Amino acid sequence: MNSSPPTEKADSGVQTRHVPLFSLGRVLTITSGTVTQLFRMKVFYFLFAFALVMVAAGNFSLPATPAQELSTIKKVSFGTMDLFAWLFSIVATALLIPRDQEDRTLYTILAKPVRRIEYLLGKLGGVLCVVGLSLLVMGTICAITVGFRESLLVSEEIGAMQADGHFAPDEVNQQIDLIRHQGLRPELALVVLAYFFKAAVVAAVTLLLSTIASSSLFTIIVSILVFLIGNAHALATGFWLQESGNSWVVRIVVKVVKVLIPDFQIFAFSEGIVQGEVVPYWLVGEMGLITVGYLLVFLLLSLLVFVDKEF
Amino acid sequence: MSSSNAAVEVENMTKVFPLGLRKGSVIAVDSLSLRVEAGEVYGLIGPNGSGKSTTMKVVLGLMAPSKGTAKVFGLDSGDIQARNEIGFLPENPYFYRHLTGEETIRFYGKLCGMRGAELSARTKELLRLVDLESAANRRLAGYSKGMLQRIGLAQSLVQKPRLVILDEPTAGVDPVGSRQIRDLILRLRDEGYTVFLCSHLLAQVQEVCDRVGILFRGKMRREGTLDELVAVEGRTSLTLDSASPELLAEIHELAAAKGVSVLSEERPRTSLEQLFIQLAESEGETRS
Repeated sequence: MNSSPPTEKADSGVQTRHVPLFSLGRVLTITSGTVTQLFRMKVFYFLFAFALVMVAAGNFSLPATPAQELSTIKKVSFGTMDLFAWLFSIVATALLIPRDQEDRTLYTILAKPVRRIEYLLGKLGGVLCVVGLSLLVMGTICAITVGFRESLLVSEEIGAMQADGHFAPDEVNQQIDLIRHQGLRPELALVVLAYFFKAAVVAAVTLLLSTIASSSLFTIIVSILVFLIGNAHALATGFWLQESGNSWVVRIVVKVVKVLIPDFQIFAFSEGIVQGEVVPYWLVGEMGLITVGYLLVFLLLSLLVFVDKEF
Repeated sequence: MSSSNAAVEVENMTKVFPLGLRKGSVIAVDSLSLRVEAGEVYGLIGPNGSGKSTTMKVVLGLMAPSKGTAKVFGLDSGDIQARNEIGFLPENPYFYRHLTGEETIRFYGKLCGMRGAELSARTKELLRLVDLESAANRRLAGYSKGMLQRIGLAQSLVQKPRLVILDEPTAGVDPVGSRQIRDLILRLRDEGYTVFLCSHLLAQVQEVCDRVGILFRGKMRREGTLDELVAVEGRTSLTLDSASPELLAEIHELAAAKGVSVLSEERPRTSLEQLFIQLAESEGETRS
């Protein structure tokens, strides 16, 4: 070897690298490694399945008004995007840490000067990058599908109304506005953002579960259960409280469940946007803050489990 | 030797694993003390389940001892700073199979804070050292076991640690690959690295280690230099080249006259491993 051997290093008093309390560089190294890993695991193949759903949705020919047709296409495409985002988030996160442990890759990483919080942040960051990128791709496919269908429906409607000859220009414009209201609007970008927030919280919950469990399958199943319970929070809470006559025991249980399982219904505002409702921007900002809060809590809990975990 | 010269210092270390509710616990390592001096090759041997891997994991900081202490160059093994001084090759390493050999070394180098020209130069140097320059751009999924072990050894050395810990470095590797790894370990010793080797392959340990510790059921049973451990007190063997039967008869007579018994007389044999390697080399099957 051409490099100075360790004995010389020791004898000459050369200082070994100082390990800082936190290194963003190490986090980014693990993040980029995770992104490369997921890319090369060909996880993006699911985007082809999404594209197929979009092609099918784009060719729906429903016995409904053009506005209703567009609304249905949007619901199907954005609903599929939501499903793909949270499911991908769970599966990708659940595969990473247990697989590193099974392959002993985790040993070689933690045997380097890497803090466990850096490892967890890097893994989560990698999943979020891939989820974000997938949502961008899916959002673009959605936008193209909805936009194309919208322009087709608008031109058909104008043609049909003009051919009929009984409609005044104002009536034509009104009808076109109605179609455009269900078409491609900038607010739909907020829906993609909301899906990202939801997928991020799901990933953080799965990360916590994967630090506790040693099997990917167990982590995936429990994460899906948590997601389903988190979506039924409000419904279940109301039912339990009503059934128990608002008893204090049930109230405590409900509070504990609310702390342990995130309320995914808070992201449901995105459905309103898809249906053409106007949602104030501050609500999106609030959702962003809640997402950051959930991420911090679940990262902290993951760290508490992971920091003393023995391999 | 002073305490500051110790690369690894384990004192009275016990590791207990709880087996779950009502199942009690198992003592994997029991009051173990060992010391690896800087610059030596130390072999920890023992059967499966004897506590070798647990000891190694405690030294690496992947586990905390239930009792006692483990230090690396004077630093507590749990101290992250100690990991700058350690290179580690686990048993049957897989690493990220989607990365190439070069990417693997770069990945681990970056984790150690290396960047730019320094990392590029070190990566090339290590690929040359482990003889994997020609496979540098191939993904690890296509590597043989021997190649994986060598790339594992390369990543363990990336930050120029002073201590290299090898867990069964030749497990599952064929004799040719095994010899390459053995040669690398000897080279590391010559370069001044301290090597801490865990293995149950006694012949390999005998070939490369300066000192050996023998673990059984979590306890250190014997420890010392190879000479101390394997020499048979009061006996001497001679290996003669082209000795005639007459000369051998004279030696026997002389020994009998001096009252010394000749206990055995045999022709030295090559080892099966050596024979295999000679054949492989003659067939030109050595690795690229």
